[in-house]
Amino acid sequence: MAMNREQTAGASIRISRLEKRFGNVSAVDGVDIDISAGEFLALLGPSGSGKTTILMSLAGFEFPTAGNIVIGSEDLTYVPANKRNLGMVFQNYTLFPHMSILDNVAFPLKMRGVAKPERYARAEEALATVRLAGYGERFSSQLSGGQQQRVALARAIVYRPRVLLMDEPLSALDKNLREDMQLEIKRLHAELGITVIFVTHDQSEALTMADRVAVLKDGRIQQIGPSRELYERPANLFTAGFIGEMNFIGVTVESVGEAIAVSLPSGEHWNVPSTSAVDPLQAGQKAVLAVRPERLQIGGEGAAFAFHVKLADIVYAGSALLLIGHLPDGTEIRARLPGASDLSTLTPGATAVFSVPKEAILLYAGGAK
Amino acid sequence: MKPSIDKGSLALGTYVYAVLAFIVIPLVIVIPMSFGQNDYLEFPPKGFTLRWYAEYFSSRQWWSATSLSVEVAFLTAICASVIGTAATYAMVRGRGRLATLFQILLIGPIIVPHIALAVGLYLFFQTIGLSGTVPGFVLAHTVLALPFVVFTTTAALGKVDASLEAAAMSCGASRFSAFRLVTLPLILPNVVSGALFAFIISFDEPVVSFFLSGVRYKTLPRRMFEDIEQNLTPIIPAIATLLIVLSIVVLLGAHLMRSRTKN
Ligand SMILES: Nc1ncnc2c1ncn2[C@@H]1O[C@H](COP(=O)(O)OP(=O)(O)OP(=O)(O)O)[C@@H](O)[C@H]1O
Ligand SMILES: [Mg+2]
Repeated sequence: MAMNREQTAGASIRISRLEKRFGNVSAVDGVDIDISAGEFLALLGPSGSGKTTILMSLAGFEFPTAGNIVIGSEDLTYVPANKRNLGMVFQNYTLFPHMSILDNVAFPLKMRGVAKPERYARAEEALATVRLAGYGERFSSQLSGGQQQRVALARAIVYRPRVLLMDEPLSALDKNLREDMQLEIKRLHAELGITVIFVTHDQSEALTMADRVAVLKDGRIQQIGPSRELYERPANLFTAGFIGEMNFIGVTVESVGEAIAVSLPSGEHWNVPSTSAVDPLQAGQKAVLAVRPERLQIGGEGAAFAFHVKLADIVYAGSALLLIGHLPDGTEIRARLPGASDLSTLTPGATAVFSVPKEAILLYAGGAK
Repeated sequence: MKPSIDKGSLALGTYVYAVLAFIVIPLVIVIPMSFGQNDYLEFPPKGFTLRWYAEYFSSRQWWSATSLSVEVAFLTAICASVIGTAATYAMVRGRGRLATLFQILLIGPIIVPHIALAVGLYLFFQTIGLSGTVPGFVLAHTVLALPFVVFTTTAALGKVDASLEAAAMSCGASRFSAFRLVTLPLILPNVVSGALFAFIISFDEPVVSFFLSGVRYKTLPRRMFEDIEQNLTPIIPAIATLLIVLSIVVLLGAHLMRSRTKN
C-alpha cells in the first residue's frame, strides 16, 4: 500500500496508574505501561486478570476509575470510543451481516465522510492487504472464520489508525488457521508500522508475536519485557509458573555470600551463583529454586548441581521424552529430554540423577506452593 | 430474561393464528350478508347487490370515521414501533435491574381488561382535555399496541450481537449511528411487523375508542356500534368485510416480515 509514512507510523501510548473498579471488584489495579511507537505489545494473563478491561479503557468503551491514557500526545482517558481513531479487532469477528464485505471495510471511511469512490478504492486496497482482494461482493456468512477475521482486520486498518487493538482475535480459530493468522498479523504490523496491543491468554501466541509481553494477574502487571527475558528470567514466581513449564523446588538458604548455599529436599547442598537469585535472600530463609524441565540433564553424579529423583513415569512422545519423578518431600520434578536419549537403565521406581547447568537455576524468596 | 423471549414469540404466534381463525369463521356468515338486497340483516341473504358498499364509500359520515381511524392507526403504528423498539433496546441491552419491572409494565396492557383501561383513560383524559382528540386516541392505542411491538422486537434484538455496535463505534460511529446503521437494519423486519400489528390493533379497537370518542370525533368501530344500535343495515357486514380483508392483508404482511428475519 502506498501510504504516507507519517500517517502510517504508529503512535506511542502511555498508560499511567490505571485503575478500574466494578463495585468492589478491582479489575485493573494501578497499571503503568509505556509503549513506544510501532511496538507490538501482548497483554497476557489468566482469565479475569484485567486484560480486556485495559484494552476497553484504551478503546474508550470503559472509562477508568483513576489514572490516564495518553496516545501520541493526546490525553484520551475520557474521550468516547468513536472519537479515538483507533483500530479494533474483536474476538468474534463482528462483521456487519447485512453489509457486503466491501461495505464493511468501507464503513469507517463512511463514518469519516470519505466520498464513495475513494471509500471503495481504499476498502479494496485494504482487502488486498489482508489477501482478500476480490471478496468485496460477498457477505460475511459466505466466508470462513479466518477470512472473516481478516476482513475485520482490514476494516480496522482501512482508515490508517496509528494504534491497533485486538482482544483475543484468534481464539475462535482452530490451531492451523491461528498460526497462519499470527504470521499475517505480524506481517501487517511490520508493513504498516502501526502500534499493536494484542490481548491473549495463550502464552505461546504472546511469546511468538510480541516485541514485549506484559504479564497480568489480578489487575496488576507482574512483569513486562521481551519474550526471552520473560522466559529465561521470570521476575517472580507467578510469571515463572505462568510462562512455560517450570519445576519449583522448596529449598533452605544456608548462607549468602559470593555464592548462595542452599539445601535441597533430596539432601544435596548446592552453591548457587548469586546471579541466580531473582529476589534478595538471607541465610536461614525458605526459598524456591526454579528450573525449566528442558534444562535438566540425565546423569552427572558428582557435578556441582546434581540431585536425586525417584522416577514415577517415563512418557515417550516422539521428539521428546518426559520424565516425571518426585523428591522425598513429594515435590514433582519433570524433565524433558531429547527423544533419542538412552534410558535403558531407567525404569519407574528407580532413582535417577539429574544435573542442571548453573545458568538455568533461578532462586526466589518464599516457600514452594 | 431469555426464556420469556421464546414464550413471548410463542404467545404471539398463538395470538396471530387465533385471530386468523376467528376471522375465518365469521367470513362464512358476514361476507354473504353484506350483499343482501333487503335493508335489514338476514341470513341467508336474498338477492345480490353492491349497494351497501356504494353507500359506505359515498357516505361522508362513514368516510370521516374511516379517515380518523386510519390517521389514528397510522400514528399509533409509528409511536408504538418507535417507543416499543426503544424500550426493547433498553431492556435487552441495558444493565439496569429495573428491566424486569419495566417489561412487566410494558406488557401489562395485555393482561388488564380493556374496559378497565378504557374507564381509567376516559376519566384521566377528560380532566386533561385529551378525550375525543387524535392525540388522545393515539396515546391510548399506543399503550395497547406496545406489548406487541415489544414481543416482535425482543426476540430479534436478542439475536443481534451487542459487540457489533461496539465494533461500529470503534469504526467512528456515534452510539446512535451504530444503532441506526447496524442494529436497526438487522431487526427492521420485526420492527415493521410490530408496526403493522399496532396499526391493526388500533384500527379495529372498539372498547377504548367507545369511551374516548366525542360527538365529532368517532373512530370507525365506534361509528359501527352506533349504526348497529340505530339502523342495523347490511352496511355493517359490508364494512366488516372490508375490515376483514384489511386485517388479513396486514397480518400476513407482518408474518412475512417476521419470517424474513429468521432466514
Ligand atoms: N462490566 C463489568 N462489571 C463487573 N465486573 C467486571 C466487568 N467487566 C469485568 N469485570 C471484572 O473485572 C475483572 C477483570 O475482567 P477482564 O474481563 O478484564 O479480564 P480478562 O483478563 O479479559 O479475562 P478473560 O481472559 O476471561 O477475558 C474480572 O474479575 C471481571 O469479573
Ligand atoms: Mg477478556
